[in-house]
Amino acid sequence: MASERLTERRRVYQQYKADVKERGKPFFPYAMWHDTIMSLVVVVVIIGLAVVWKYTTPGNHHTTDPGWLGKLYDNPADPGTINFVPRPDWYYYFLFYLLRIFKWPESVLLGTIGIPTIALLLLIALPFIDLRSERRISRRPVAIIAGILVVISMGVLTFKGATAKEALGSELLGHVSAWAKKEGYTGNQAAVKGAKLFAVSGCLNCHVYNGDGGQNLGAPELTAEGAKNKGIAFQIAHLKCPSCKNPGSPMPSFAGLGDDRLKLLATFLESSKGSK
Amino acid sequence: MATRTKPTRGQQLQEAINYPLDWVEERSGLVGGIKYFLFRKVPGDVNWFQTLGSATFTAFLVQALTGVILAMYYKPDPKDAYSSIQHITNDIFAGWLVRGMHRWGASVFIILMFMHMGRVFLFGAYKFPRELNWIIGVLLLAMGLGEGFTGYLLPWDQTSYWATVVGININGTAPFLGPFLAQFLQGGTYINADTLSRFYAIHMLMIPGAIAALIGLHMYLVIRLGVTSPPWSKEAAGTGPLEQPSQNGTARSGLTRPGTRKDGR
Repeated sequence: MASERLTERRRVYQQYKADVKERGKPFFPYAMWHDTIMSLVVVVVIIGLAVVWKYTTPGNHHTTDPGWLGKLYDNPADPGTINFVPRPDWYYYFLFYLLRIFKWPESVLLGTIGIPTIALLLLIALPFIDLRSERRISRRPVAIIAGILVVISMGVLTFKGATAKEALGSELLGHVSAWAKKEGYTGNQAAVKGAKLFAVSGCLNCHVYNGDGGQNLGAPELTAEGAKNKGIAFQIAHLKCPSCKNPGSPMPSFAGLGDDRLKLLATFLESSKGSK
Repeated sequence: MATRTKPTRGQQLQEAINYPLDWVEERSGLVGGIKYFLFRKVPGDVNWFQTLGSATFTAFLVQALTGVILAMYYKPDPKDAYSSIQHITNDIFAGWLVRGMHRWGASVFIILMFMHMGRVFLFGAYKFPRELNWIIGVLLLAMGLGEGFTGYLLPWDQTSYWATVVGININGTAPFLGPFLAQFLQGGTYINADTLSRFYAIHMLMIPGAIAALIGLHMYLVIRLGVTSPPWSKEAAGTGPLEQPSQNGTARSGLTRPGTRKDGR
C-alpha cells in the first residue's frame, strides 16, 4: 500500500520534470526579473522603516521618547532597578501573550515550552503527516482550514500582546492605602512600606493584586498570598531566587533590592491575607 | 594550406571575454553551474508569490551587510554597549540608517520567512520530493527567531535587558535541556558581563553561519528539485493524478490536460 503511494508520488514528480523540460521557461530573464523587483521592494521598505523610525522620534531625533515605530533606545540597562516591562520584540508577542492564558503553576509550562515545542515538531512533521500528492487548494480542506486557524490565532495573540496593558509604578503608588485598607494591614508600617516597594518594583507587570496588575507570563495572583502562610523566610528566599523555590518559574531574581527591602516585601506579602 | 586570416575586432573581444571564463570553467565548473542556474526551466506560470523566498534571502543579505557595519562600531561590553549604540545612532555618518535598517530588517526578515512558509504551505510545495527542504526551512525559521532573541539584548537598555532576563528564565524551564540551555546562554548561573559577549558571538557568528550554510543547502535543493507551479494552474507541470486523461474516457478526460500527450508528441 505504502509503496503504491510512493510509486504514485514518483510518477507525479517525473511527470512534473518532463512537463517543465518540455513547456517550462528559463528562470532568466522572466522569473529572475520578478525576483529582482521584489528584492528591491524589500530593500526600499527596510530603508523606509529606518527613516520613519529615526525621523518621527520627537525632539532632535536623539531622545528616548518613542516615535511612530517606538523608541530608538530605552534608558540604559540597570540590573538594580527592577521596575521593568519584560516585553519582547513584536514578533514574539504571540508567545508572550500565550503565557497569559496559562496560569502558574499547573499549566504555565505548557505555555512556555509545551505549545511552542509541539508547534515546532508539527511543522517539521508536516510533510510526513500530509502524504498525498494533491496540491489543489479546493481538495485540501483540512490543511487549508488548519492553516487559516493558525494564522488567525497567531494574529489575535500578536494583537492582544501588542495592546496588553502595562502596570506603571507611579500610578500604582496611589493605590497602596486602598490595598492596605482592603487587606487590613494599615497599622503595619513594614507591610505598607513593602506594598509601596511592591508597587514600584515592577511586580505588577506580571502579578495581579487587588485588581491591579498585568497578568503576564502566567504569574499567580498575590491578593491572598499571605493566606498560604509560607513564612517570611520563604518569601525572601523566593524573591532572591524564584526558580530555586519553584522550579520552572520564569520570574527574575529580585536579590538586587537588598536584604532590608526584601524583608519589607516579604512582610507585605505575608500580611496580604486576601481582601475583606 | 589555409591562409591565416587576421581575427576581426569582434572575434578578438569575444576571445578576451571567453579566455578568463574558460579558465575558471576548466578549473571549477562554476560557469556551467551559473549557466545552469540561470537557464534552468521553471514552470511557465510561476507566480509573484514565488518571489517571497528570494525576497527573504535579500532581507538576510541586508541583515548581514548592515550587521558587519554595526560590528565595526558596537562594543559588546556592559560598560560600553549602550553608549556605542548611542554613538552609532547619533554621531556616525548614516549610523542611524544602518542601525535602523538592521533593526527593522529583522522584522521584515521574520515576516518574509513566515509569508514564504505560508506560500509553500498553500501551494503544497512541501510534498514529495521536497520534504527535506521544508524541514530545512523550518530550521531556518527557528534560527531567524533565535537571531531576533539574541540581537534584542545587544543595545543593553532596560527593555532589552529585562526581556532577556525573562526570556532566559523561560528557556530554563524546559525539561531536561532547559537549565543547560539557560546556563549556556548566560555564560553562568545568572545574567552577567559574559552574557552580553556570549549573545553577541551567538548573534553574529554562530547562528548567521548556520543560517548561511542552510540557505545554501535550501537553494541547492530548490534548483535540484525544481520550482513548483501554482496549485490552481491548469496547464502546469506535474498536476496531480486526477488530471490524467482517464483510460475509459469519462467526463474528466481532456478537461485539464490534453490527451494528445500520451502518444509522445
